[in-house]
Amino acid sequence: MQIVCCVKQVPDTTQVKIDPATNTLVRAGVESICNPYDLVAVEAAVKITEKYGGSVSVITMGIPSAEVQLRECLSLGAHQAILVSDRALAGADTLATSYTLASAIQKLNEIDPVQIVMCGKQAIDGDTAQTGPGIATRLGFTQLTYVSQIIGLDIQKQTITVRREIENASQIIEAKLPVMLTVELELGAARYATLPGLIKAIKHEIKVWGAKELSCTAEKCGLKGSPTSVKTIFAPPPRKGGPVYDTTEGMDQAVNSLLDTLFQKEAAIMSEILSNDSKVKNA
Amino acid sequence: MPKNSEGKDIAEVNPKKCSGCQACVGECPVGCIDIEDGVAKITAEKCIGCGKCVMVCPSDAILFDKPIKKKVVKPAEFVESGIAAYKGVAVFIEVKDGVAADVSWELVGKGRELAHKLNTNVMGFLVGHNVKSIAAEAISYGCDSVYVLDNSAFETYVSRVYGAALTELCRQVKPEVFLIGASSLGRDLSSVIATQLQTGLTADCTGLDVDPQEKLLMMTRPTFGGNIMATIYCRNHRPQMSTVRPKVFKMPKRDPARTGEIIPFKYDNVVEPLIEILETIKMDTANLVDITHSQVLVVVGKGACDSKNFQMLEELAALLGGSVACSRPLVEAGLLPYVRQVGQTGKTVAPKLYIGIGVSGAVQHMVGMQGSEKVMAINNDKNAQMVQVADYSIIGDYVKVVPELIKGLKARIPNIQTQGAQQ
Ligand SMILES: Cc1cc2nc3c(=O)[nH]c(=O)nc-3n(C[C@H](O)[C@H](O)[C@H](O)COP(=O)(O)OP(=O)(O)OC[C@H]3O[C@@H](n4cnc5c(N)ncnc54)[C@H](O)[C@@H]3O)c2cc1C
Ligand SMILES: Cc1cc2nc3c(=O)[nH]c(=O)nc-3n(C[C@H](O)[C@H](O)[C@H](O)COP(=O)(O)OP(=O)(O)OC[C@H]3O[C@@H](n4cnc5c(N)ncnc54)[C@H](O)[C@@H]3O)c2cc1C
Repeated sequence: MQIVCCVKQVPDTTQVKIDPATNTLVRAGVESICNPYDLVAVEAAVKITEKYGGSVSVITMGIPSAEVQLRECLSLGAHQAILVSDRALAGADTLATSYTLASAIQKLNEIDPVQIVMCGKQAIDGDTAQTGPGIATRLGFTQLTYVSQIIGLDIQKQTITVRREIENASQIIEAKLPVMLTVELELGAARYATLPGLIKAIKHEIKVWGAKELSCTAEKCGLKGSPTSVKTIFAPPPRKGGPVYDTTEGMDQAVNSLLDTLFQKEAAIMSEILSNDSKVKNA
Repeated sequence: MPKNSEGKDIAEVNPKKCSGCQACVGECPVGCIDIEDGVAKITAEKCIGCGKCVMVCPSDAILFDKPIKKKVVKPAEFVESGIAAYKGVAVFIEVKDGVAADVSWELVGKGRELAHKLNTNVMGFLVGHNVKSIAAEAISYGCDSVYVLDNSAFETYVSRVYGAALTELCRQVKPEVFLIGASSLGRDLSSVIATQLQTGLTADCTGLDVDPQEKLLMMTRPTFGGNIMATIYCRNHRPQMSTVRPKVFKMPKRDPARTGEIIPFKYDNVVEPLIEILETIKMDTANLVDITHSQVLVVVGKGACDSKNFQMLEELAALLGGSVACSRPLVEAGLLPYVRQVGQTGKTVAPKLYIGIGVSGAVQHMVGMQGSEKVMAINNDKNAQMVQVADYSIIGDYVKVVPELIKGLKARIPNIQTQGAQQ
């Protein structure tokens, strides 16, 4: 049994800043990390193989430097890593990304049957959460999103049981293998790499596959294979701050002048909020 | 304009503007662009000065002064590709436990606006079991017609089953635009349909409009953790699909007198679910509060996380008929449940009044509350980001400010005063 984890190299979005002079995103120099959700997936996959056997393969589609994130996954216990990298794949939207990743998974499947594909719930940069379901649909795998717990596998019955989170409820679901899971952070933090893990990660030879190795149709990859195109990127107009009431100049006075202004300037909103009707609705 | 050693005019990247999206890397016919240190870099000696990268750059980050030939798609090409056959704005009507999700009606409302600009009509796509009354409701909220897929197999939602059915419906009806609410169900479903239809899907939009020249859907969404906005087009594929988070658009007025057509859609090839839901665990009532529905939110941050003061925060919320929500550290500390979290990895809220108490205003938090009508900050640091953006701020220790605020509010709300007198 092979488990494939899809991992994405992303910029650390907490470090991304907006240049106030030009109101543009400053991307240069921001550190690249492994998408946090994907590390959780790798950990869960390694745990499954520790209990049920099998191996974990990690794949990423990205620029050559994404090798760093693959080695991180190897140090956490993944058994092999594949870098899918080719200029022809650049500028892909989720439709083209899922096509390319599904092609890579199919190639892995020819060597050793893939029973589980794991993705993060979302990538913290693109943030669409569309890649996982796209892969599942292309491969015809059972789809389980928002997985917060893996309860168990039944190898005989070829099923997996998981807990998934939806609005205001959780579901316990038994699903037929092969399956594609997208995982929540609650599934559990990644372990710390061990020294042998780190050594293995450094020594491991990472396979690099391009569009040719995957026998991808050029029209379905990269920018060409992407129905969506980003027309413009801009920083949201900053909200402008209003009056500031400092309580060091008197608590009572600050709070009361704020309330006076609020009830005067925002009379419409305040009366709507305080009308009995809306209060009943909110209760 | 920069030249290479052969004297050829070449393109140059302004690293300050580049977002690293890689569109130019994919477009460059000679492979002379690489991503280095997060941004695009052009190898001058390889560049042939064709200017193609300039055309695709969404950030205006490539300098190139030569006039570029724009490729114009002629209307005839549209007819040939079959795109012209797609008409109308479709909205997926999400049903849960026999009730339609508000976000569906919000999208019907927005759909009307788009349909007006596109000179077309609004269709509801309704999947479920015994959903007749919801079809009628869809008309009253603004649909001109509702396609209904009613089958006992649609009683509970399963992505495969709904995905296959809606794909078939799209193939038959051919809408030019298809909108889906970005609820957990909608996010699970939308990519299944888009992948089968081989069309574009834009996630979590906060703005939808029609390009006045090209008559294309302009889909605007936050990315990079809410740091930037991107406007996305889906030029040559149909339908143009998009998901939209709840509460982004206003709920339309319901008009029971509106008329429209309800069309049962014959669909027999229900696919196998491949899953069995063994158990559904509803959250306990404390967790059931839907902060996206509150008109007023008292949002507790790490600076106000002392649980012995929670009661006064709840009192403040109750006084204004609102609910208590929070930033992520409170959820991480186990002080409040996840359903109360506002932000990128929590809920998007748009109350009439947002009161942030001890919330610093990190970007990941802000993306979830930018749509709030009025924002008030209570913070002891006047340099906090939240204070910079709030419409009203009080600088001070919340432990002292909040009781004073409650007192002041009570004095200004007449009926509360009398209630107080009666007690
Ligand atoms: C500003 C901007 C806006 C965009 N908006 C859209 C849009 O609305 N619609 C659209 O279709 N595309 C969009 N894209 C393109 C999109 O970011 C890419 O297709 C990206 O490769 C995958 O999407 P994501 O980052 O949203 O990942 P998600 O779908 O959120 O990722 C979920 C999981 O899929 C896996 N995964 C994703 N990408 C990779 C990868 N390259 N290698 C391995 N595993 C991966 C990971 O497990 C990840 O956790 C946008 C790009 C930019 C720059
Ligand atoms: C991928 C990712 C996703 C994230 N998603 C979310 C999300 O969805 N939602 C979210 O909220 N965060 C999210 N975060 C976390 C986010 O980056 C911030 O860490 C978080 O929002 C900070 O919460 P805070 O403002 O409550 O705390 P802090 O940043 O610690 O701010 C506390 C504030 O309280 C003030 N204060 C302290 N004492 C007092 C007092 N006595 N009286 C009044 N004021 C006081 C301080 O001046 C300060 O401004 C995410 C982070 C990452 C990396």
